[in-house]
Amino acid sequence: MNEAWRYFLLFFGAAFVYNFLLIRFIGLCPFFGISNRLETSLGMSISVIFVMVMASSVCWVLRSYVLSPLGVEEFLYIPAYILVIASLVQFVEMVIKKTSPPLYKAMGIYLPLITTNCAVLAAVIESTRPGFMKLNIEYGYTFLEALIFTIGVSVGFAIVLVLFAAMRERLDMAPIPKFFRGAPIAFIAAALYSLAFMGFQGMFGL
Amino acid sequence: MRDRGKGAGRELTKGIVRTNPLLVLMVGLCSALAISTRVESCIFMGAAVIFVTVCSNVIISLIRGFIPDQIRIPIFIVVIASFVTIVDLTLKTQPAIYERLGVWIPLIVVNCLILARAEGFASGSGVYRSFMDGLGIGLGYTVVILIMSVFRELFGTGKIVLFNTTLIDLKVDAMPKILIMFPGAFITFALLLACLQWYQDRRKPKGKGAAGNE
Repeated sequence: MNEAWRYFLLFFGAAFVYNFLLIRFIGLCPFFGISNRLETSLGMSISVIFVMVMASSVCWVLRSYVLSPLGVEEFLYIPAYILVIASLVQFVEMVIKKTSPPLYKAMGIYLPLITTNCAVLAAVIESTRPGFMKLNIEYGYTFLEALIFTIGVSVGFAIVLVLFAAMRERLDMAPIPKFFRGAPIAFIAAALYSLAFMGFQGMFGL
Repeated sequence: MRDRGKGAGRELTKGIVRTNPLLVLMVGLCSALAISTRVESCIFMGAAVIFVTVCSNVIISLIRGFIPDQIRIPIFIVVIASFVTIVDLTLKTQPAIYERLGVWIPLIVVNCLILARAEGFASGSGVYRSFMDGLGIGLGYTVVILIMSVFRELFGTGKIVLFNTTLIDLKVDAMPKILIMFPGAFITFALLLACLQWYQDRRKPKGKGAAGNE
């Protein structure tokens, strides 16, 4: 397999074939919580892409050069990663507040929420200790592979979030049976989206 | 109301019924939807979640007097992460189960339901009440994932297999396999929510359905 193709497969697999939201059910809380309006979900998507890519780069370095050589990875990875994510989110929030007020206005309220977004921790864990995702690409990602994997995950997350929000805006006006109004119909819609994304299964042998 | 009882008993039942984390508060959905394909995995996942909610609630309630307000969230997360690490290492001794639960064990850390209880309840209540609250919330989570998994496994595969023994076998060939696939999780949960809205609507005729009381 040549290099570029491998990277493409990694990206495609992470973004579509094993989409975090619809196929693997990671990060559903913000998905149903804030996908009511297109605007808010756009802001959230951008923040998630940003934080996820930064967090996984930092954690990859942390794992390879600190945790692994010290031999403490096995039992310290959960607290270490979650603290990195939490402090990174705080740090990013402060930097954006100082340097770019318009961007802060757009992303600000979503940043604290991202700390407890399981998608970020999942992406970090999988890019540093792969093995949970059954891609037919060898495990033990290099830094570049981990980066591409995370970009794929976050882009897939963002695409689905925005698509779903656009659809939910229309759902408000649709005639829906009484007991399915509100949350249940959102889950039914998500099921149909998930069905559509199942079409990606097996593409390129992934 | 059923939960008119007093004190700690009420903390226990409210987690299961009135403020059920999955159906009413809608937190911690991710693992519930992903795990509920098999009853067996749900038992382990439920046990893990109950253990973490109870232990972290008790510890946080014990140290709540010493926690500075500004850094309380990181402290909660570290406490929760320690208990999740215990579960993670314990389950690693059972490779078959660990492989099936996969990434969901470390992800209990960021399960919003646990942090929400730590922040919203244990940081301001006594030890015993926090213990009951943690137990109730954990049980509420477990009961719902068990209902979902029984429905999905029974109608998705036609039988329920628990620890290598077949409990129920419908002996039907063509079952709707979609229930154990990804869309099935969403459909099952949507049906469950719809049933709940129907039930609430029937109980108080002039109410507007799922009120979501805090």
